Amino acid sequence: MISAIGEVLLGKEHQVRLALACLLARGHLLIEDLPGMGKTTLAEALARSFGLGFKRVSFTSDLLPADLTGLNVFDPGAASFHFQPGPLFSQVLLADEINRASPRTQSALLEAMAAGRVSVDGVSHPLPRPFLVIATQNGLDQGGTSALPESQLDRFLMRLGLGYPPRQAEQALLRGEGLLPDRLNGAFGPEDLLELQGRCDRQHCSAALLDYVLDLLERSRRQPAQGHPLSPRAGLALVAAARAWSLLEGRDHVIPDDVQAVLAAVCEHRMDGGQRGDGDGALSQRLQAGVDGLR
Amino acid sequence: MSRAAAPLQWLTMGLLAVGLLGLSPALSLSLLAFGLAVLTALKLREARSLEERRLVALLQLVGAGLLAALRPELGPSLLQGLAILLALAGLLALELGAGPDWKALMRRSLQVLLAALPIALVLFLLLPRLMPFSNLGTGQGMGVMTGLSDSMEPGSIARLSVSRAAAARVAFPLGGGPPPLGQRFWRVLVHQRFDGRRWRSTAPPLPRPAAGQPTPPPPAAPGEGIQLWLVEPSGLAAVPWSGAGRPLSPDLTLQRSGELLNRAPGSQRRVYALTQTADPGDWRSQPPGPIDLVLPRGENPRLEALAAEWRRLGSDRQRLNAAGSWFRSQPFRYTLEPGALPRQAPLDRFLFETRLGFCGHYASAFTTLMRAAGVPARVVSGYRGGQWVQPVGGSGYVDLRQADAHAWSEVWLQGEGWQRVDPTAWADGDPLASAVTTSETATGTAPWDWLQRQWWGLDIAWARWWLGYDSEQQQALVQRLLGDQRHLLGLVVLLAVAISLAASLGGLGWLGRRRSGDPLRLELEHTLRAFARHGLAPQAGETLPVFAQRLMQRWPALAGPLNAYVANYQRQRFASTPSRTGRRQAQRLGRALRRSLRTGNLPKEAVQREHP
Repeated sequence: MISAIGEVLLGKEHQVRLALACLLARGHLLIEDLPGMGKTTLAEALARSFGLGFKRVSFTSDLLPADLTGLNVFDPGAASFHFQPGPLFSQVLLADEINRASPRTQSALLEAMAAGRVSVDGVSHPLPRPFLVIATQNGLDQGGTSALPESQLDRFLMRLGLGYPPRQAEQALLRGEGLLPDRLNGAFGPEDLLELQGRCDRQHCSAALLDYVLDLLERSRRQPAQGHPLSPRAGLALVAAARAWSLLEGRDHVIPDDVQAVLAAVCEHRMDGGQRGDGDGALSQRLQAGVDGLR
Repeated sequence: MSRAAAPLQWLTMGLLAVGLLGLSPALSLSLLAFGLAVLTALKLREARSLEERRLVALLQLVGAGLLAALRPELGPSLLQGLAILLALAGLLALELGAGPDWKALMRRSLQVLLAALPIALVLFLLLPRLMPFSNLGTGQGMGVMTGLSDSMEPGSIARLSVSRAAAARVAFPLGGGPPPLGQRFWRVLVHQRFDGRRWRSTAPPLPRPAAGQPTPPPPAAPGEGIQLWLVEPSGLAAVPWSGAGRPLSPDLTLQRSGELLNRAPGSQRRVYALTQTADPGDWRSQPPGPIDLVLPRGENPRLEALAAEWRRLGSDRQRLNAAGSWFRSQPFRYTLEPGALPRQAPLDRFLFETRLGFCGHYASAFTTLMRAAGVPARVVSGYRGGQWVQPVGGSGYVDLRQADAHAWSEVWLQGEGWQRVDPTAWADGDPLASAVTTSETATGTAPWDWLQRQWWGLDIAWARWWLGYDSEQQQALVQRLLGDQRHLLGLVVLLAVAISLAASLGGLGWLGRRRSGDPLRLELEHTLRAFARHGLAPQAGETLPVFAQRLMQRWPALAGPLNAYVANYQRQRFASTPSRTGRRQAQRLGRALRRSLRTGNLPKEAVQREHP
């Protein structure tokens, strides 16, 4: 399946794998890069490959919360209000350019991401499962953006940067060899995704591995100069992502290599506070180098 | 702060209290120790915060040190060691957080103590000593000795029960065997005053210590052997000695009568040393006084009549010989149950009718006879015989019990001085004569006795090597170490302290590292060191599979054992809970890997050199 998505998104196998791991770990994904790097394509390919319901919202500065969640509409025939679900009620929500929306709208999204439900006029409406938000955001140096608060950043399991494709892949792209996402036929269904997600939870995490994760967390907290300290939620995210990664690697247990593979994607945006720092993944690399990986 | 901290500190307090029990309240330092202990206990009672508890731990350590200065004998030292161990464990419980349990705390505390040993040893051996040996372990008895007392009236005792209670131990210069049984007379008291029935000692019951410090006696010359005495508490003012040699303690003074007076106040037991020489002491040639001839007339008429015959003989020596042959010609028998003698003429009754008695009867009767015959004589009480004990792995000593208490006579012979005469030896059934044949070879000792004798052996070794390491021995050691470069001593001490400190800290660090890794990890590090010697070590944060990849690039031939090793390690570590078999497997694979690194590596490099 990775290769199938890889045919859509040329030359980005590692990012595709990470995105898939994020999906398996029931996490939300934030893709950050310049326009035109294939962010939307990746999101769409992910959704389609599992045959998930897919909706897309382009965030603008005047987008209101109700535009996302839906609202109670008066039905003159029944003389009552009934709830008209918004685009949030989908399995995969692609939130394009999320950092263009107002903080108020972002926080509505926040509740949906964290709790898996939407509250409108005091009534909770559960969201479908699986529910995955894939948000894209443009660099903060772009016009018309407002930075995502750290609290919201923390709710994304991973942040990926796509980067330019290698020359060979770009050549293939220009030749028109890439697949369009809508041509992906779903060999998997949503039930397969749910089952895979369940299997992720059963991946064995040994005490030695948890020690490794704890050492990483502790080190990030002991060196405040090296970015924000990692929260317990970051630790949960790290373990969940590593579990998904180990499943993708075809193992039934997690090893430090899995943690290291997802470390940059899971922790970098929590450590740099949304500010792309001095180079990609520098903070998490430093963190990784500070902890004994042999175990 | 661990939950074990408070119990540990209270336990330490209890041990310190037990240690304090043995202190004599007469010493000002013991008052200091008492006060410190009370303050520490109060502080512990009210301590809530970490800082206060830390303070308590430090006070406890100081208290234990103070106790160690006051009670340096083996038993108390062990107690103090235990107290320090617990106090340290308490301190560690404060500092190491809630993690470690009792066992871990005690183990760590023991490690810290052991790590402190080298530096303690250096300071012990090389630092100038403040206290001479003799000031240690001085004592004044609380109990009353059952074997000896300063007055003796054998006639009033109908039945003497034998007490096996310990009296004293005496150890001889290293490697020395036991003195012959006939020479084992250890004098304690000299009884010169006689009122017809009772012999009294002239020594004051308990002399008051002289004002000011007594001047220490000159130390033993290098060639002189040292006799070490460990005496159990007694109510006596004098301590046993062989009659030859010179006391090495300032609080022991030699009387003209040949008694060794103990002027020291203090605790229960007494440790002291004497030089061992063959020549008799000065006291033997001290002329007798009138008191040595005092004899109430008319008390024992038949005795006086017998002595009057000997009085006609020319010399004291002849009178002595005549008495000896008379005693041997009579059927005297040694017994511990002689029956009481009458108030009237008790010695006549003993000498001419019952002829049954123990040492007191013989010594008393013989001395009276000698005085009646005009020979200055006196009764001496002390110990005789004793059992030679050879503890396991230690040097031998003579074990004296209260049952070895004895009395004999001394007579003044012109030109020869005071001579020991043991009239008991002339009697039938003298226990010493039978002891020659039995006790030296006695093997059937009770287990408790055996244990006690081993302990005393340790006690003596402790006194010899620990208490006995005085400034003289230290000077000798420094002399041997440095020769003429004595001025370098300070430098040497500093250097030795630095080295032992570094060694201790290094050892502790090593132990800490060692303990942090489990066996599997230790095995991994062992294997990694083998690779590190070939110049390839894991980078910071690198995982084992990644590092193994790099290793395989350098040594493709190692791929097989390396893969097996890494796969097993990863499986043990991350796929299952570590098991004993997995650990053994890891060790086996690690050995195989290191072996192939040793053997397979060299030809590989040779090949590379041929085909660059």
